[in-house]
Amino acid sequence: MTNTFYSLTWTDVFASLVLVLVSIALLKWWKIGLEKTLLIGTLRTFVQLTAMGYVLTYFFAQRRWYFMVGLVALMILIASYEGYRRQRSRVRIPRYFAIITGVLFVTVAAVLGTVLQFILHVQPWYYPYAMIPIAGMIIGNALNTASLTVNRFVGELEHRESEIELYLSLGAPPRVAVQDALRESIKAALLPTVNSMMMVGLVQLPGVMTGQILSGIDPIIAVRYQIMIMYMWVTASTMTNILVLALVYRQFFTPRQQLRRELLHHR
Amino acid sequence: MSAPALFDLEHVGYDPVLRDLSLRIFPGEHWVIMGPSGAGKSTCLRLFNGLLSPTGGRLTFHGSPLETMDPPVLRQKVGMLFQEAVMLQGTVEENLCLPLRWRPDSARYTRRRIIDYLHLVELDASLLGVPARTLSGGEKQRVALARILLNDPEVLLLDEPTASLDPPLARKILRLVHRLQREFKLTVIRVSHHPELARDFADHVCFIQAGRILEAGPISRLDQPVAPDLREFLEQSRS
Repeated sequence: MTNTFYSLTWTDVFASLVLVLVSIALLKWWKIGLEKTLLIGTLRTFVQLTAMGYVLTYFFAQRRWYFMVGLVALMILIASYEGYRRQRSRVRIPRYFAIITGVLFVTVAAVLGTVLQFILHVQPWYYPYAMIPIAGMIIGNALNTASLTVNRFVGELEHRESEIELYLSLGAPPRVAVQDALRESIKAALLPTVNSMMMVGLVQLPGVMTGQILSGIDPIIAVRYQIMIMYMWVTASTMTNILVLALVYRQFFTPRQQLRRELLHHR
Repeated sequence: MSAPALFDLEHVGYDPVLRDLSLRIFPGEHWVIMGPSGAGKSTCLRLFNGLLSPTGGRLTFHGSPLETMDPPVLRQKVGMLFQEAVMLQGTVEENLCLPLRWRPDSARYTRRRIIDYLHLVELDASLLGVPARTLSGGEKQRVALARILLNDPEVLLLDEPTASLDPPLARKILRLVHRLQREFKLTVIRVSHHPELARDFADHVCFIQAGRILEAGPISRLDQPVAPDLREFLEQSRS
């Protein structure tokens, strides 16, 4: 049997709308009231991804390093704003936008650089077909995990306020006072990634691998990519979590090492 | 020349809770800060060990402005016992040894020495392995007291640690504090809203209302209060 590559036409994509129509019919039948939102979501998926496809085609055709770096920087800024917006509704952490942007830049530079240069040996280093999708995966994953960990950390601070004051009153530096809160937050944010590493291949086939196999790539090669991606994800998540919290926890203390309780109580 | 004050407060304020506090506290004294709920007593106590910083005026410790001191060093010298003795997850021994986690000289503290601290607060060594959160309120306060003593403090701040204890047990804790004060030559600054307990072992009183000091001086001031608000507060408490 030879590998067959099933190319998808726009007509095929429209045909896949049948799947969404089934969902809408089911929601309507049970009067869930989510049909309109799902319809908007369906439309946005189509418009946003199509637009992205054309943007990528344009950028990929340029073959200039500054185009690629500019696109990655833009992706980071959009992701940072999204992360900042999500956080703002809970607790206003001073300098949070700058923190998340800086951390994403550092994480992307370190992980993407390593993958492109030392693992995939991509030539030139800004080869768009490798750089952009991998950067997208790193940014998306890092943003989700950063939101999770910061949310959890704020919750831990609220829950452990008297405990933290106890530490400070005994002469502990802030880093020691929040050690347990940091540990719990990082664990909680990393566990989903680690758990998915435990279950990958047993229950579900991950998206990247499925996409590659559908495009006619040898499953063994697809698997190699998936393994690399899983390792890349866990590293990016760990780096993001630790760097973000290392900068965020300081915002909750004054230069005189006092807990800024007003940040936790003023919503 | 008079002895230098341990704490010297000159027109200290903390917006918007405290205003224009002026007070001198000397080594070895036992002050009780009294006043109705919300008067600013606990806030005032937090200024002494730098958990809060004054927003106005000048506050010195041994003649040095507090803002020039390293906060962890200051807090080790000025220990604080909270209203609720916070016990962390873990045994009594782990809770007791908490300050040793960041102290560079922790090797000096042998198990024998840790047990001595437990005896100091009239607890038995058999409690060391017990989960700290299962202790009674009084036992927790004793463990919290021993934990502070491990830092070799000069000052003990007590933020109504006996508020949730019944009066006989509260007196026992205060008696223990008094004994420790003499043994370790400590200065004690205690918050109380209970006039009867306030008198116990204290030699000075400071009455705060709406963020201002209305009366401050020897404890005998409670017998013939000058400030009408203090008189009223004492009468209300008696009734």
